[in-house]
Amino acid sequence: MTAPLLWAAGTAWVLAAGLGLGASRKIFLLAAGAVSAAGGAACLVGGVLLAMRGRATTTTLGAGNVVGRLDLRAAPLASAFLVLLGLVTLAIGCYAPRYHKPERGTAAYLCAYNLAALASLAVLVAGDVTTFLIAWESMTRACSLVILRHWRRAGVREGAFLFLALGEVGFAMVVAAFVILATHAHSLDLSVIAAHAQSIPIGWRSTAFVLALLGFGFKAGLAPLHIWLPAAHPVAPADGSAYLSGLVIKLGVYGVMLFGFELLGHGPLWWGLLVMALGAFSALIGILYAVVERDLKRFLAYSSVENVGIIMTSVGASMTFSYYHQPVLGAFLLLVALYHVVNHGTYKTLLFLEAGVVEHASGIRDLDRLGGLVHHMRASSVISLVGTLGIAALPPLNGFVSEWMLFEGLFQGFRVHSHVVGVLILIAAATIGLTAGLAVLAFARAFGIAFLGMPRSAEAARATETGQPVLGPGLLAAACVALGVGAPAVLVALDHVVRGVTGVQLRPMLLVSNLTVIPGHTNFSGFSPTYLAVFLVAVTVVPIAIYAASRPRGATQRVPVWDGGLMSYRARMQYTATTFSNPVRVTFQRLYRPDIHIDRASDDPAGSSGPVHYRTKVQPIFEQYLYRPIARFVKALARLLQPIQSGDVNQYLLYILVVLVVAYLVYAW
Amino acid sequence: MALWFLRGLGRQVVTTRYPSVLDPWASALPTPPSFVPSRLTAELVHRLVESCPSGALRQEDRELVLDVGACTACGTCQRIAPDAVTTSGVFELAATARAHLVKRIPIQGGDK
Amino acid sequence: MAVPGHEEDRLAARLAGDIHGLFGRSLHIRTIDTGSCAVCESEIRLLLAPHYDLHRLGLFFTPAPRHADLLMVTGPVVRVMELPLAKTYAAMPEPKLVVAVGACPLGGVFDEDEIVRGRLDQVLPVDVFIPGCPPSPLALLQGLLVAVGRLAERVGALSFVAGEETSK
Repeated sequence: MTAPLLWAAGTAWVLAAGLGLGASRKIFLLAAGAVSAAGGAACLVGGVLLAMRGRATTTTLGAGNVVGRLDLRAAPLASAFLVLLGLVTLAIGCYAPRYHKPERGTAAYLCAYNLAALASLAVLVAGDVTTFLIAWESMTRACSLVILRHWRRAGVREGAFLFLALGEVGFAMVVAAFVILATHAHSLDLSVIAAHAQSIPIGWRSTAFVLALLGFGFKAGLAPLHIWLPAAHPVAPADGSAYLSGLVIKLGVYGVMLFGFELLGHGPLWWGLLVMALGAFSALIGILYAVVERDLKRFLAYSSVENVGIIMTSVGASMTFSYYHQPVLGAFLLLVALYHVVNHGTYKTLLFLEAGVVEHASGIRDLDRLGGLVHHMRASSVISLVGTLGIAALPPLNGFVSEWMLFEGLFQGFRVHSHVVGVLILIAAATIGLTAGLAVLAFARAFGIAFLGMPRSAEAARATETGQPVLGPGLLAAACVALGVGAPAVLVALDHVVRGVTGVQLRPMLLVSNLTVIPGHTNFSGFSPTYLAVFLVAVTVVPIAIYAASRPRGATQRVPVWDGGLMSYRARMQYTATTFSNPVRVTFQRLYRPDIHIDRASDDPAGSSGPVHYRTKVQPIFEQYLYRPIARFVKALARLLQPIQSGDVNQYLLYILVVLVVAYLVYAW
Repeated sequence: MALWFLRGLGRQVVTTRYPSVLDPWASALPTPPSFVPSRLTAELVHRLVESCPSGALRQEDRELVLDVGACTACGTCQRIAPDAVTTSGVFELAATARAHLVKRIPIQGGDK
Repeated sequence: MAVPGHEEDRLAARLAGDIHGLFGRSLHIRTIDTGSCAVCESEIRLLLAPHYDLHRLGLFFTPAPRHADLLMVTGPVVRVMELPLAKTYAAMPEPKLVVAVGACPLGGVFDEDEIVRGRLDQVLPVDVFIPGCPPSPLALLQGLLVAVGRLAERVGALSFVAGEETSK
């Protein structure tokens, strides 16, 4: 049943791309959205069925063909990502018709977006190296077209260029990694490569692993390879950013998992530790830059960097535990990583879609000028609140379950029979703990400043709900709640997936009495997300019901909020996003190296001094200290090699002669 | 620390038990004046009115009006005419209406 | 001033009974300074000291008017404090009481001009007036207990004529 559904999804997206080309007419826009959503639903169901089956299916397209053949393989590892792809495209399909205006730019955009979805599907079901690489590159190109929707606006071309450039560098590394493996296994088929994994010398395998980690890390947004995320996300349309953050970076994670768990077999200890270290670093860097960010979409982009770091930490810890003969914990942490992939995809997509709603309703992305949106945008506020609670990992939603499981897995580092590695795992856990705390701060800030309080600008005061898409984000909010409260069901499915990938039977070490989750060992800890949700609802609803039933009639008055008796409370007296995050900015100022300028109109005392301007800018240290030196070096190298491209025909004829002579000599020997 | 505790035990409870029991030192609190109507003459009343620093005394017809609400218990009127003015000794002056604090004392001394 | 009739007396008695039932043993007080010299505040602050121990009577201070039952006002109500005073009074939930503390809000110190109102009862409905400059803490205690109906008002019946009923 899986294969037909995935074929249906792919077909639907091709159809939607075609319909999208006519999207300068409203009917085609709606049709493209609906078909795309239908494809998403098919992919979602197909992914769930694939997960439950736990085994791979293969098909070959065009066998015996002169042009070439494509091997397709629907494997359990890809199933979680297929579920996510389905969910994301379903939500975006419902959202896009109300978000975009029917015009020519939208037509090209929708075509590119649906082709990107098709290419993502192809990446996930690729069965051999060429299919994978063709699909990967197509996805990158299509996504860059998605980013370039409003290519005339400031920053768009730079963002798309950075995405494409880093994507190409990563692609080159991925090609190299695949080539190493394919050469040694004498086959392009991924299953054959996986079977031959252990016979490849360890030096080559490690090289391939590092190349894959870095190459896929560029796409995943692993720090310090992440700089395209804050450049590309703010300038892409909201559903494009949602697709990028919700799905495309997860494909980078999928690539790392593919290499780490299937194609390379078991590796030395340092593989797992490297991935864990990069993950923890990425998580911390991501959230530190997110907390001080004013632009709502760039803030969400940095938060994606953080969450990819969390997922990678889980992957790295899984590899480490497997090395130390703890297969149950290794499988458990792989399960956590997959669960977090789905969770993060869900709520990050939701938050980006809502950021798009906010941007359309008020025209601004700057947190310091938003505020008070809850008064006129009720539905969007509630949906955003669900997404915010999910990503801040607050019970009983899905983010809480996956982060709890991650912590419980990491805390069992003492089971590793090496003190040093045990301490390293604990350091990773502590870093993720700091990250989680800062994430709560960051998202309380984002939601509170944007939605609550009084509007800080006229545009924010004018924002209303009318005409804004609600169905797509609403579906994702419902999914967040379902993934959290229904976590036992999700874990049953993921258990099948993990069994398909690692062969470890996790179920009795994962779920006790069907509703309680335990982290791989029975005597460590446990909790039940379902009972917790029921308890939270009861604890909230029951006292309210008792109070409402006993309250005397007519005893309520509506009065203004107590503001300390001030003469007038103005919106400018509220916290801004910059001030809310100031303690973090001051604590970590060695990292941010903020550039602070204070201009006073005069030196008179406060009240009569005229305006005071305060400017603070966080330094982009990765661009300054990592990328610019490399770019300068490459440019210097290119200048050195410039004389080769002289444009002189005689020189080129000399090259041809030299190559012919060398080829003849080589052949003659 | 122990010394303070023992000293406190020695001093016993110093908290007032007002309103059930009135402390003996309450009689020394500064309080508004009481007047002897038979010793009030028009001329004395005029002097008292002039001397009140808070304007709590005024004369209306044949009455001396004491506004207890404005009285600060400074004792000036008592110092000027100690045989006509004494302390009332009343410090429980809370009133539920402003008019309850305006007292009229007849001027019955000297020439009528 | 009109003499209260029989009906008003009955209603006043019933209201007093209600007030005593609600606040007699537990009252939260919010103080506000509308321009005083802060000596009354010193006396009010002394109420929390061990000598007077306000808490033993079930009376508490609270900074939040939303939690307050009684508003204790010092100072002659300067005009710039009228709006905060009105906002504080409006932020208190019903039923609420107002006590004017000291000679200032009783109109005894300042006359009305462009800076002060002088009298509190022109701005808010006052339940108890506590004279004194400043009133001693015992006088404040008596005033608060009169406000909640645990003590009866005494000054109304006094004549301040020496030799008559002015005794402790």
